Amino acid sequence: MIRTRLKIVGQSGSGLLTAGELVADSLKELGYEICTDREYPSLIKGGTSCFTINFSDQPVRSLSKTADILVAIDKPCLLEYFPTLKKEGILVHGYERLAGIKEILDQAKQKKIKVVACQAREIAEQSGGTVLMANIILTGLVWGVLGLDLKIMQNIVEKKFAKKFWLPIAIKCLQAGFASVDKKESLVLPKPKPQPRIMLDGNHALSLGAIHGGMRAYIAYPMSPASSILTHVAQMAKDTGVLVKQAEDEITAAQMVVGASFAGTRSMTATSGGGYDLMTETVSLAGIIENPLVIVCVQRPGPATGLPTWTGQGDLNMVTYSAHGEFARIVLSVSDPTDAFDLIQHAFNLSEKYQTPVVVLSEKVIAESQMTIPNFDLKKIKIERGLVTGKDLDKLESSDRYKITKNGISLRWLPGSSGPHYFANGDEHDEEGRIDETEEAGDMYAKRMRKVDTIKKELPEPEVFGSKKAKISFIGWGSSKGVMLDTIANNKDVNYLHVTYLHPLRTEKIKKFMQENKNVHLIEGNYEGQLGNKIEGETGQKFKGKLLKWNGRQFFTEDVEEYIKKSN
Amino acid sequence: MDAKKIEQLTKKADQIGKLDTKQVMTWCDGCGNYGIQNALKRAIVLENIEQQKLLQCFDIGCVGNESDKVECYTIHGLHGRVLPLAVGAKIANPELTVIASAGDGGTFSEGVNHLVHAVRNDYPILFLLHDNENYALTTGQATATTPKGQVRNGTPDGVAQDPLNPLQFVLSLGPSFVAQTLSANVNHMTEVFQKALRHKGFAFVEILQTCPTYNKQCPNEWYAERVFEVEKLKNYDCRDIWQARKIVAETGKFPIGVIYENLQKKNFLETVPHREKRKTTLIEEVAHTDITKFLGKL
Repeated sequence: MIRTRLKIVGQSGSGLLTAGELVADSLKELGYEICTDREYPSLIKGGTSCFTINFSDQPVRSLSKTADILVAIDKPCLLEYFPTLKKEGILVHGYERLAGIKEILDQAKQKKIKVVACQAREIAEQSGGTVLMANIILTGLVWGVLGLDLKIMQNIVEKKFAKKFWLPIAIKCLQAGFASVDKKESLVLPKPKPQPRIMLDGNHALSLGAIHGGMRAYIAYPMSPASSILTHVAQMAKDTGVLVKQAEDEITAAQMVVGASFAGTRSMTATSGGGYDLMTETVSLAGIIENPLVIVCVQRPGPATGLPTWTGQGDLNMVTYSAHGEFARIVLSVSDPTDAFDLIQHAFNLSEKYQTPVVVLSEKVIAESQMTIPNFDLKKIKIERGLVTGKDLDKLESSDRYKITKNGISLRWLPGSSGPHYFANGDEHDEEGRIDETEEAGDMYAKRMRKVDTIKKELPEPEVFGSKKAKISFIGWGSSKGVMLDTIANNKDVNYLHVTYLHPLRTEKIKKFMQENKNVHLIEGNYEGQLGNKIEGETGQKFKGKLLKWNGRQFFTEDVEEYIKKSN
Repeated sequence: MDAKKIEQLTKKADQIGKLDTKQVMTWCDGCGNYGIQNALKRAIVLENIEQQKLLQCFDIGCVGNESDKVECYTIHGLHGRVLPLAVGAKIANPELTVIASAGDGGTFSEGVNHLVHAVRNDYPILFLLHDNENYALTTGQATATTPKGQVRNGTPDGVAQDPLNPLQFVLSLGPSFVAQTLSANVNHMTEVFQKALRHKGFAFVEILQTCPTYNKQCPNEWYAERVFEVEKLKNYDCRDIWQARKIVAETGKFPIGVIYENLQKKNFLETVPHREKRKTTLIEEVAHTDITKFLGKL
């Protein structure tokens, strides 16, 4: 698979995001497969930011560290990102004072980099705009470099800025930028065979999945990189009637979700690691009163505030082991927008069926990476609530709610749905829900713990991708799937086992994979190799090596390629 | 109590009895909780609230030990968190009558932020503050409402700080219903609870609760000597926030009854966008929701 790798860089507020979105939307319109990401620091204006687009006529599920084309809106970002531009790549800039970037231009010459430039600010002003339109000029310029149809881009610009009085100026700027490229020099890209595709990021997909799956209340406190779920759900509230509440803190959000789930609606909250810390006592409460609770934890590196706008997989141990006491919980991880849409629906089903907390792990890179994917399958996942309904309600007794059963699951029915009432008791209790401090109270404890085995047996096994006779194998979770699938597409000697359901962990298939493949490595976005340690502890198998990363950046295709080279 | 009320209660004695459990009570002799529980059961029955549509949520502590001693749906939650827990249930199913109960520790130390926002949002639930001026179940430590100078477990030299005035605090937040009553007077409590149950927004009721074990300085008689009914005051207007704020600021005396009421304030459910025309509850609406409109834009 050959991909074209484009980076648009500029300070926050310079319009790089708009430029990136215009290019991505236009590429999608042409039928390309796209993966994008935004790199930016935790501030509103200034700093160096990057919008990366990798595209191809084949599926793209991950990003490269290097770029074929670097579009620089301003000098600070040019300096920062120039080293990521490959030899013989293309540098697109709109900087007029060339003496100021002489060093870069010299380096470009050495690296045989082609420079495509125009005086963006001047052209913007000549076109009737201001220097703020430099991003549109550069958008036209890079579109010319890519050798693609200007009409497509123009339509996208017209659609995006339809209500802006300055639309005609923007079109002029776009055309002027495009005209600055000598078309003989343009790239000749393979034409894709357009497939029906939608393009969105993981948080957006997860929001849609939750609403499709019957979520009727969303309660959250803002925290990057989970905040855009609140934005999406709130924007859809007018059409869906979903109750959206921004709570006073994460403790409140989690408690309200427990209350709403107890009363019988589908409700969830989303946060990142720091917010999850605050929710843990509530997770414990949901554990003992056997209440549904769905929490989405979109990871960024910690500890404390850590790297607020960057990515990582450092919170697996936290969501698996935090909260006091022992109780059953389910931890699953999404890997891309399709997964996010599907798995949030499974999370609701699991949480209601097993009456226990479910944590859905996502990552900043999944949350904000826009990707082209096939349209969602709306009929794939049915709503399963595990509730007593209809005539069965008449046969109930209060003691059925916490009946000690073999598989750990007792009957659950909604308050007010007739049937007898029950006590949901955060103190240890008997089958009637009454406080029980006798030695027999341990029976209720054991009943709840029996859910772990029940759940484990019913969760799907991990999935294996790639050849059976691989020379090197990897095991990973979350966003690692994208980079591993892209690696496999180019390298037949690699296979990969992807773990979606992280806790309780089904180990049969993992064990078999580690026995059948002799050179199995871990790929994980944290320092300790948290899933790796869990797998080694529970299977007795050892990894040959571990590819770990904790600097806030996702695994790029080069990371895996280099690791494979080193390991051979 | 007037004869009419006695007749009403006698008629409904069976219904009140249905709210009793067979559980052995675990409160101290003379604990204010006995009276509170009785008054609440009476108020629930007199207000014709169905047992199956009643959810009581409890903080932990002595108040939480009631969670399995009243026959209705209950949740015994975590310390300081009863408000958001109860609110979550209420906003999901507005057809439930939701009552949240907590002590002075959970309300003014561990979970004071929740109180601020419950008042601000005017969530339509009844909140009962059991104020016995100490953490009783952990054997009598001082709380934010323990009077200055009083000795408690853990403060042998007396509490050094001035206490927080719950009513002053709540009245400063723009509430829609504030009342005070005392655990020694079941009739008064019953009436106040009834009015609070009828209120359509967040009803805040402080109960001056006796704790014969850890707050010996303030027995029933002590409170009885210091309370006065606002309803009996000439010219007291419970719709006037400034009169209310003034009356609760007086030290050494406790106004009881409905101290403040704002019937104009919209409760939370009346302010949720895009749900005005829905006749169903969020409970009934759990089903696949059509998202094709949004997918078309991607």
